[in-house]
Amino acid sequence: MLSLALSDVSVSYPGLAEPALFLSDLSITAGERVAVTGPSGSGKSTLVNILTGLDRATRGSIVWQGTDIARLSEGARDRWRYQNVGLIMQDFHLFAGLSAIDNVLLPARLRLDADNALKARAASLLDRVGLGGRDQPIATLSRGEMQRVAVARAVLRRPGILVADEPSASLDAASGAVVADLLDTLSREDGTTLIVVSHDDRIVNRLDRRIHLIRGRIHPDESSSS
Amino acid sequence: MMRLILADLRRLWLGAAVVLVLVALATALGMAVTLQERALRLGSARAADSFDLIVGAPGSETQLVLSTVFLQPSPLPLMKGDVLARLAADPRVAFAAPVGFGDFFGTYPIVGTSSDLATDAGHRPLAEGRLFAQTHEAVAGAGTDLRVGDIIHPMHGRPDQSGSVHKEAAYRVVGRMAPSNTPWDRAILVPIEGVWAVHGLHAGRHQEHEGEEPDSHDGDEPSRQIHQSGGWAADLPGLPAIVVKPKTIADAYRLRAAYRTDSALAVFPGEVLTNLYGTLGDARTVLALVVTGAQALVGAAIALIAIGHVSQRRRQIGALRALGAPRIAIFGIVWGEIFALVAAGITAGLGLAYLAARLISAEISKGNGVTLPVAFEGSDASRVLALVAAAGLLAAIPAALAYRQPATAALRH
Repeated sequence: MLSLALSDVSVSYPGLAEPALFLSDLSITAGERVAVTGPSGSGKSTLVNILTGLDRATRGSIVWQGTDIARLSEGARDRWRYQNVGLIMQDFHLFAGLSAIDNVLLPARLRLDADNALKARAASLLDRVGLGGRDQPIATLSRGEMQRVAVARAVLRRPGILVADEPSASLDAASGAVVADLLDTLSREDGTTLIVVSHDDRIVNRLDRRIHLIRGRIHPDESSSS
Repeated sequence: MMRLILADLRRLWLGAAVVLVLVALATALGMAVTLQERALRLGSARAADSFDLIVGAPGSETQLVLSTVFLQPSPLPLMKGDVLARLAADPRVAFAAPVGFGDFFGTYPIVGTSSDLATDAGHRPLAEGRLFAQTHEAVAGAGTDLRVGDIIHPMHGRPDQSGSVHKEAAYRVVGRMAPSNTPWDRAILVPIEGVWAVHGLHAGRHQEHEGEEPDSHDGDEPSRQIHQSGGWAADLPGLPAIVVKPKTIADAYRLRAAYRTDSALAVFPGEVLTNLYGTLGDARTVLALVVTGAQALVGAAIALIAIGHVSQRRRQIGALRALGAPRIAIFGIVWGEIFALVAAGITAGLGLAYLAARLISAEISKGNGVTLPVAFEGSDASRVLALVAAAGLLAAIPAALAYRQPATAALRH
């Protein structure tokens, strides 16, 4: 688990009068489970992108457990993300043509990191998320099953941070509930710092804290801690 | 990484197949030209191997070689018969064999000559039967479908023209030659005296040009003994060509110099063919340029396809980066996929070129009997390596571009 200290961060894009995101101060303690909410265009995805190092802030520092990822090179951010972040995206981003277990192991394989222990954990995780047919091609899975494969992929290396961007947005209610359960259970087991961008109250209400963004800024009245 | 590449190629099989076919055709086009040109050069050079020196009437050196070595059915001017007598008596000559054309049996040319040329002065034994000993006897080439004992009636003139059959004349096949992989495999060898007899020519009588109708036919005259190795009379009919076997290389050069006169033209077939290749070489250069241009166009098309392919896969590349894939892995996946396609295309193209060249060679061989050896050489390896290297460089462009786009932009795509 990792803690976050974010200060004086702004993300600006050419052609926009105001920053897409401006956060003077934000801290997340290690193992904390945080929901990020807000209307469309409020900067939720931008926040996820800079927190995971997918994008670089225009200014400010984003310090995860002593490492300011805003200062890392692109290659170093990719490596840091691989080592520390489990990412679950709305569109799953699984690779057609590969089996469920090959998808789970793909990031580790691309880093030449998939040892036998990891392969065994991948198989066990797929069992855990209810996918016995680990060699089943991705194209034959339902959307709910695909998102469960994505969850297994995200937690494979027991990352310190688990980030889910609208994990249930493209799922039906039942599948969304299953994914919410999995995120809740798996992050609790490993004490992972969990950040979930979601409009789904069933997920948001389970988490320790809510950060509500409006026009790129944290809205204190809507934000809360349980 | 390989699994991802293979899975991707399977998923996008149609586009992959189009690229593969394009590369294969472009490779095959260039390589087939090279293989075929080489096969023609080697095949024709081998066909000319057993002809050290050819003497004919002054005229086209190329036509003299094409008619004598490749038995191309074109009329040659005749030289006086006494040239044969002089050559046969020349101490620098191992043997001098007359060559007379003009008759056919079906599509097989009937060539009048002497036993020396048929057996290379006893060095090349027959595959079957015996050598002709009478004017009405023949030895069939290895590529003919004639058997010992068959009777054939010669037809005067080219097979593609309506020639007249010498019904009164007949040859009996008494032997079959061993294969030589030259146009002579399709020939029927008869004694030159037999040809003269069929055309009503006797020693001391000759025509101005071979192919003209003789004054009279004596084709029904009885078969008689033919000339054996040794001297020839001086009053022989005109001859289109004489194949000369010099005793030494020095003799060959001296003979060539001695028989390049107003009445005779001596040529080295190898030299004539080399000059011919030189002339054809210009055409080959033009063809090679056209092929290279076509290949460059295909290369450009593939580069465009590859860049379009990467563009289509921006989301996938973005996802790989989001999952922490290193730069080298992204480069490797894109490069590996394009390179695998192009390399497979080049391999298929080489096979296709070989197959095409073999088919063309077989077709040519069927027509004229020249065996055209189709084979890759060491120089082809460097050319293929250059192609592969170019493919590797070409594939590196989209591979390098793949990592340059921001991961978030790629994910949004």
